[in-house]
Amino acid sequence: MLIKVQIIIGALSIILLLITFELIRRKRLREEYAILWLFTGIVVLVFSLWPEFFLSQFFVKMTGIFYLSAVVLIAFFFLLLIVFHFSVVISKLTDRNKELAQRHALLELEFKEFKKRYLLSETGPS
Amino acid sequence: MIGDKVSVNDQGKILVIVPAYNEEGSVEKVIEEVRTHLSKADILIVNDGSTDHTSEKARACGAVVLDLPFNLGIGGAMQAGYQYAKEKGYDIAVQVDADGQHNPKEIPKLLHALEAKKVDVAIGSRFIGDSGYRSSTMRRVGISILSYVISMIVRQKITDPTSGFRAANRRTIQLFASEYPQDYPEPEVVVLLHQCHLKMVEVPVGMSERYSGESSITKIRSIYYMVKVLLAIFVDYFKQPPLLEKEGEGC
Repeated sequence: MLIKVQIIIGALSIILLLITFELIRRKRLREEYAILWLFTGIVVLVFSLWPEFFLSQFFVKMTGIFYLSAVVLIAFFFLLLIVFHFSVVISKLTDRNKELAQRHALLELEFKEFKKRYLLSETGPS
Repeated sequence: MIGDKVSVNDQGKILVIVPAYNEEGSVEKVIEEVRTHLSKADILIVNDGSTDHTSEKARACGAVVLDLPFNLGIGGAMQAGYQYAKEKGYDIAVQVDADGQHNPKEIPKLLHALEAKKVDVAIGSRFIGDSGYRSSTMRRVGISILSYVISMIVRQKITDPTSGFRAANRRTIQLFASEYPQDYPEPEVVVLLHQCHLKMVEVPVGMSERYSGESSITKIRSIYYMVKVLLAIFVDYFKQPPLLEKEGEGC
């Protein structure tokens, strides 16, 4: 039973790490966001490689949770962190997006007026 | 300085900002009315990514049109208008809705209050005196609760916190250009002004039924709107107030 859980979780974490690496390599994922994912993958991998510690009386007594629950809990915690991080990033992006749109609109208006004046002065005297 | 004497009717450059989102049915009428009642003011239509002919119609009327590349919502559109006012050096900015709810005939009242009472912002209120404004009971209850809470926060009676009919002076324009609430700008702005120690006053104005279009607050959504606004204001209250840039004027 335990070995099955170990294999599944180990495989999943390795796949996660590989995907993260590949995405960084292809520049599809910025490093600053990738760090959290890498960390999550490594922690989960450690769980599957050394289950003895998480099965030990010491750990069970201290936390009151068993192996699989511990893995799920930790993974869930990291996911929460990542999602939270995303909300912060999205807020920042939305803000910048708004500023860009406003800047763009103002510059476009300025440019149109400038162009109109330029064309008038071009055709005017001749 | 030449011409130091400033009369009541000469308050410097005035810009009327009209945020418009799909208001092709009423935008021309609003522009014309502003022209009739306030001939010396410039008019800026902020086209908030409309999908109809709002922009073309406004331009055909001779107004300056600021086209946002996509819909930002009323907060972002208003702020873009204030940024324009700041860049072009306007002394006073008046915001008027494009749906025809605000009567441009009342703008001089706002301007007068701004000057006579030496305040930074004048807010047109439907609920001082009888403006002939009628709306659903639900909405009125919502607005009165909102008004009560906001009045408590800013320690000043604000009867109509959702009114978007306002006039602002140069100092306020500068503040709004850099900092303007996005979610529910009308009530949130009142709290922002208080945090920045800017003075405001309410002026009784008449408001008519909108020419066209739907209010962003429908009957059923009134309560939902109110709760969300209260939450936003609650959050605003704990936000760090922004600093006014110029002359070290503490905010």
